[in-house]
Amino acid sequence: MLYPQNAAARTDPEAVSETSYDAVIVGGGISGAIIADQLSRAGQRVLILEAGPGDDMTIEGYEEYLTRFYSAVTKDNQSPYAVNPNAPMPRSTDVRNIVPGQPDSSSYLVQNGPYATDTVYTRVLGGTTMHWEAKVMRMLPEDFEMASRYGQGLDWPIGYDDLEPHYQAAEREIGVSADVEDQTFLGVTYPPGYVFPMRGLPLSYLDKMVARGVDGTEVEAGGERVTLKVRPFPQGRNGIPNPAYDGGKGYTPVGAVSTHQVETGGRCQGNNNCVPLCPVQARYHAGKTLAKALGNGVELLAKSVAYKVHTDPVNGRVTQIEFRTYRDPSSPEHVTGTARGRIFVIGAGAIENARLMLASGLNSSSGLMGRNLMDHAYLLNWALLPEIAGTGRGTNSTGGIVDLRGGSFRGKHAGFGIDIHNDGWGWATGAPFTDLQHIVDAKHKFGPDLRRALVDQVSRQLLFAFMVEVPPNPSNRVTVDPAYRDQLGNMRPVLSYSIPDYTMRGAAYGRRLAQRIFERLGAEDCTAYSPTDYGYVSYEGQGYAIRGGNHLGGTHVMGTSPANSVVDATQRSWDHQNLYLVGGGSMPTIGTANVTLTIAALCFKSAERMIEQLRAERAPVALLAGTSGSAQGSGQ
Amino acid sequence: MNTESLEMARLRDLLQAAVELELSTIPPYLCALYSLWPESNDTARLIIRSVVVEEMLHMVLAANVLNAIGGEPRVTGREHVPRYPHELPDGVVLDLLPFCPEAIEGFLKVENPQYSHRALGADHPLLAGRRPDVHLAHATTITQRPATIGAFYAEIIEGLEKAAATTGEQALFRGDPARQITRDYYYAGGGIPRPVTDLASARAALTEIIDQGEGDQASMYDSDGDLGHYFRFKQLKYGRSYLPLDDAGTPSGPEIDVDWTAAYPMIANPRGDDYGDPELRAASDAANRTWSGLLRQLEAAFNGFPEALLMAVPAMFSLRDLALVLLANPLPCGDGRHAGPAFEWAQDR
Repeated sequence: MLYPQNAAARTDPEAVSETSYDAVIVGGGISGAIIADQLSRAGQRVLILEAGPGDDMTIEGYEEYLTRFYSAVTKDNQSPYAVNPNAPMPRSTDVRNIVPGQPDSSSYLVQNGPYATDTVYTRVLGGTTMHWEAKVMRMLPEDFEMASRYGQGLDWPIGYDDLEPHYQAAEREIGVSADVEDQTFLGVTYPPGYVFPMRGLPLSYLDKMVARGVDGTEVEAGGERVTLKVRPFPQGRNGIPNPAYDGGKGYTPVGAVSTHQVETGGRCQGNNNCVPLCPVQARYHAGKTLAKALGNGVELLAKSVAYKVHTDPVNGRVTQIEFRTYRDPSSPEHVTGTARGRIFVIGAGAIENARLMLASGLNSSSGLMGRNLMDHAYLLNWALLPEIAGTGRGTNSTGGIVDLRGGSFRGKHAGFGIDIHNDGWGWATGAPFTDLQHIVDAKHKFGPDLRRALVDQVSRQLLFAFMVEVPPNPSNRVTVDPAYRDQLGNMRPVLSYSIPDYTMRGAAYGRRLAQRIFERLGAEDCTAYSPTDYGYVSYEGQGYAIRGGNHLGGTHVMGTSPANSVVDATQRSWDHQNLYLVGGGSMPTIGTANVTLTIAALCFKSAERMIEQLRAERAPVALLAGTSGSAQGSGQ
Repeated sequence: MNTESLEMARLRDLLQAAVELELSTIPPYLCALYSLWPESNDTARLIIRSVVVEEMLHMVLAANVLNAIGGEPRVTGREHVPRYPHELPDGVVLDLLPFCPEAIEGFLKVENPQYSHRALGADHPLLAGRRPDVHLAHATTITQRPATIGAFYAEIIEGLEKAAATTGEQALFRGDPARQITRDYYYAGGGIPRPVTDLASARAALTEIIDQGEGDQASMYDSDGDLGHYFRFKQLKYGRSYLPLDDAGTPSGPEIDVDWTAAYPMIANPRGDDYGDPELRAASDAANRTWSGLLRQLEAAFNGFPEALLMAVPAMFSLRDLALVLLANPLPCGDGRHAGPAFEWAQDR
């Protein structure tokens, strides 16, 4: 995939300030990339404002990320990306225990607690898809109807069937490898004859070992019997194209993005560091879509952080977005510019979207801006299998158990998916590095004995990550406070967050289930949750360590009216008729599916509406030279 | 034997020679690539890598053409596995060398027969005593014409055209289509292997080989807009990249950081027998076995089991890892040279 040379240098803050675009997009992640690509194909002039440095979509830039990752001591999700005080990002290694009443402001996210989350999102070109795992499941039909079906959370203003065609578009864009027969369960349906772009990726050896103990196991949930089965996940990484795709036209996988066709990339080779970075770009990242968009003439202004959304006090329409362009990430020096357009799209992620709106004083007439913050609660369970299971091979996660993602039990407790981790205990214990340390320091092994002991220990590791749903709760929220600003002067997000009991009931059920499965596998349960863990949550006398999921949503929920939501079903703001707030923030529930595929589907849907709106509002914007900064007419 | 089958036999022989020729270019590039110190010479790494993956594609394309006319591509056994130094048509000699100016000179010559360079004499310090006998490529012994690689491929295309005219296209391309390597099991850099089923697709496949690399230097860029191999290497030679408006001469773009010292100084044309040290010998044997195993997988893939390419991927990782073990180790003789992978055929499994 060719990334147009010097795409990041096509424009500058001054030129942008003198231009009127059809659409101004804040954020070069998957949402912004899809919308930019769709709008530019429809002949619209588009600007993307990107907070991160924009010069990294070359093979060299990507290799630099890899080098930084390889040499990093801590291999966390953000380890490939340079620290940037002008567009800071949360990092799991920054999280501290919160003392009640004392917000932790020691790192970018200011946390009021009571729960301290280690959730992250990545502020570089390509956004969080630069570090994501690329597990791309659809939401269940019932996830859209949680309130009416189960009396929990909120209903969506649209249903699964409304989004289904857009799921297909998202699966094409991302290049999903999966087989329909594996992905048909709990009411998820496809049109007759549908196939995914590429064939499903196989289960790992570890998955198959686990399947021996799991398949056919019956459990009771909400008074119903459920039979468990290990299934492969749909993956946003290149596999074998399915010749039956697109009515027999097939699918051409998208390889690496680079400014010249010194191509790498291709199919997944089973490197085990999908997160934070696929070394061969077999895993989709939004750069692949951005490359297309920039090829259509989309303009990109990088190192430019949106600072304030300006609106017309009379009609509420957004007039311009004020941004700050820095030159050097380490210096606060910047120039201020303004971007004007007929429509504005904010796609900077659930937390940053709300942060920017709140920092602009735009709380939404519903009062819901920043509220209902959701993120999957991960409960890790780990054990040692009785025999070598090949842990460490394959991509991070190829299979898991999805049978308890949905069901009538959701009236009482949260549903969850279970990921089998091919990368062992790393997430829970810091393996294999901690294993090495232990074998050397405590067991005093060296040489061949050390090598054998390490292999014996690591290749028997089994980690189940229970991805537990978190319902919307207005008091889980993002706010801003002028007391907390970043180097560039932007107000930082302030989080108040607790794990709902509904979720904890699901987690407690999950913990018992894990113990049962471990027993069936003859595996030694090594799970231990420390009360000193920053994510420690007590529930009914038991303690659990809950991890953040990086699946953020809810901060500008969609709904049926300006009273119950911030945006409508097309992600258009109720208050500001030319503003779209896009991404996970629009989701009224996150169910038990990783959010990106749904975000992508929603953005395809929104792009259709944006094109309609742009075509309907044909009258050109009056261009008044020298008036940048003043509120401007809305172009009627 | 009638003339038709004689012609066919020669065509198959030529195409088998083409498969071997493309295979023979891979180990020299891999030696240069793997000899680079980790985290050094990033541009050189990308350039060499980009070329070697296209050579792999070329081998697949040649095998597809051979399969299309009912042949059976072979890449195993002493008869078919290249030995080094390896002489290609036009007197171009492939040596296994680490990343060094001399290696790049050799690559320039391989990729452009018109490139005039002083061939390394057997007495060159890099080679001293390490070019005992040169192994002739099958392509060198088989052609009757002025033997350049371009002429070699031209003869194949002409032969196919002639055979198609005399025996009919359908009769000529009678190979089982299931033996074609398609993008189902192969896609990565360098393009997509096209199935070959008729004269047009055969011509397209062979033209792509010539177009991307050896042979035609009329244009700096191939039909996909990629810089030709020859020009990619010229960037390393001059330490500068080409600008879009540069002509075929010296590149005038930004400087490329090339550090000739940041590479393991591998001995030229290493052989397993060179290693008296038992540990080095064992490492070399392991590398040879992995290389041979990889070739067996490729041969299976070319002979009706394309899915064998899936397992060839981890084999390539193993080969790289074993090569790095050798390359990181100085030879005990103390002359400062390091060991390296020999790419020898290992008979035993």
